[in-house]
Amino acid sequence: MAVVDSGPMSPVEPQPTPVVEAAGLTKRFGPIVAVDGAELTVPAGRIVGLLGPNGSGKTTLIRLLLGLVRPDTGRVTVLGRQVPDRSLLAEVGYMPQSDGIYHELTVWENIRFFGDLYGGLGRGRAREVLELVELDDRRHSLVADLSGGMRRRLSLACALVHRPRFLVLDEPTVGVDPALRATFWHHFRELAAGGTTILVSSHVMDEADRCDELVFMRSGRIIARGSGAELRASAGTADLEAAFLHFAGLGPDGRPVGDGDATAGRHPTGPGPA
Amino acid sequence: MSPRRVLAVTRRIVDLFRHDHRSLALVVVAPLVVTALLGWVVRGSESGTVRLLVVDADTGPAGAQLVAAIEGAAVGTSVEVVEGGSDPAAVDDRLADGDADVALVVPDDFSAALLAGQGPTLRLVTAGVDPAGEGGAAGAVVELLGRSLRTLLPDGVGSRLPNLERSTIYLPVDADALDAIAPVFLGYFAYFFVFILTGISFLRERLGGTLERLLATPVTRAEIVAGYSLGFGIFATLQVVLLTGFVLLHWEIPALGPIPAFVVGLDVPSAGSPILAFVLALALAVGAVSLGIFLSTFARTEFQILQFIPIVIVPQGLLGGIFWPIDRLPDLLRPIAQLLPLTYAVEGLRAVMIRGAGLDDPVVLRDLAILVAVALLFVALAARTIRREIA
Repeated sequence: MAVVDSGPMSPVEPQPTPVVEAAGLTKRFGPIVAVDGAELTVPAGRIVGLLGPNGSGKTTLIRLLLGLVRPDTGRVTVLGRQVPDRSLLAEVGYMPQSDGIYHELTVWENIRFFGDLYGGLGRGRAREVLELVELDDRRHSLVADLSGGMRRRLSLACALVHRPRFLVLDEPTVGVDPALRATFWHHFRELAAGGTTILVSSHVMDEADRCDELVFMRSGRIIARGSGAELRASAGTADLEAAFLHFAGLGPDGRPVGDGDATAGRHPTGPGPA
Repeated sequence: MSPRRVLAVTRRIVDLFRHDHRSLALVVVAPLVVTALLGWVVRGSESGTVRLLVVDADTGPAGAQLVAAIEGAAVGTSVEVVEGGSDPAAVDDRLADGDADVALVVPDDFSAALLAGQGPTLRLVTAGVDPAGEGGAAGAVVELLGRSLRTLLPDGVGSRLPNLERSTIYLPVDADALDAIAPVFLGYFAYFFVFILTGISFLRERLGGTLERLLATPVTRAEIVAGYSLGFGIFATLQVVLLTGFVLLHWEIPALGPIPAFVVGLDVPSAGSPILAFVLALALAVGAVSLGIFLSTFARTEFQILQFIPIVIVPQGLLGGIFWPIDRLPDLLRPIAQLLPLTYAVEGLRAVMIRGAGLDDPVVLRDLAILVAVALLFVALAARTIRREIA
């Protein structure tokens, strides 16, 4: 297993153009501000974790980055190109929270379908990704007959089939058992070692330390970012969960703290109930 | 537009049907069963025996002659003559009791009126509970009456033929109702099933997250709609081919043990090109694919797709000219009917299959053009809603 909590990047490494640069991103759905002025940079070749509770705007932010929704304000570039750009999507892999695969079709029909959409990568590549996620022997099974974990694996395979340079994973380990979760992280680490940039969202903090960098989100805002060690140090806490509560302006019981010392984060939410 | 991506979407639809045998059966078997039922109902009702109660109240000799002529002419036909005496007052009771389907009353002044050179009036009475069935029965009697009178009266006395006091009854033309309805059923079925299947399939794409997943690939909205149209077009084609064959052809199945001999297929006479009829039905079906995609935006569950049936499908069936000609619709409904795509498919299919019109016929050409235009319009609308869903 690769290093966890790798800390800051080594200083001798040249700084390539970030894979994602987003500035002032805001998206409203009616009265709800799903993403509120988000600034985000994803450096090339790294695994960036997007962490926050359910409903904090992680999925909307991901959809904004992919060009699936249009921002109200702000702009995004991915791989140096302005979003939305359809040709860009040929270089991006996306594993949505809801699998995004056809339950009525077989494993093989799904992987072939996505392979064809990405430009016909041939049977060889399809078999390769199925072997990677250990589904090759189930390729003639209907997805409807697979377990939840197998569906997650197929969803990952469909996101990898075209060898994307940038991989976006929306809560990939939800409902996944610990053994499979470890396998997934092993894959992510190997992909990153091969030069793939990964943005992975999660609402479980125990995955956070496996990422190179973390972005904390709450109520549509990015409240802190940095490596796990930096965030713990900055918050003065022993674990990332406490650090998150600290940056969110919440006490250890999860309730808002009145005022005072909870403003150490770069973007304090300023709960301020009088 | 990339053919590879269009075909990928198409193949996905085909794979879907390959695994879902019940939906495949819905496409293939259900229309045949319904059309066969329609055929049996329409034809079966017509071939039934009509029991004609003849009441001769005539005080002169002509009435008895007419009755004898009717009885003679009825031999070997579906009309069975029932002796009804000479009391017109008994007619209502006997009809109400179901002793006869139709009663013919010869009036007491029948001979006198004929001798005086006036047209006497014969009364044709039915129970008045089943207009369609009674209309058919009365039609059979009128036809029988015409032949009876021709054997009875010498040529040249046509001006003195008796009047028939039953102006309210619709006199059917030579063709049976099925001949007019069956060809256009092709179009209706293609429309109905394709709409339902596409609507639900596409709704599942939206709900299941696969549409969002698709839009995160390089596929375009136009490619998705084109792939869907092609995929469902294949099954619409299969359906239309089978139905056309079923309507136009017939196979006699010999008796086997306890099962009596029966006929499969409706053997509707068609004058026109089955290929042109098929093209019309297919243009309609492509429009239905896009309409299904478009309307799936406005549904949140499969159940809500089914709720479009009374809104979209049934009015087209009622107003589209399948059962009632457009020009006989009330003034307010006629413009609505002219807005419905099915109207033009029905008109075109009738022109081709009944009149034998070809592509050189202006009506057929216009109908085909309208159907293609409507299909393109819905394709554009469908492509728009795919974006709206995501944005």
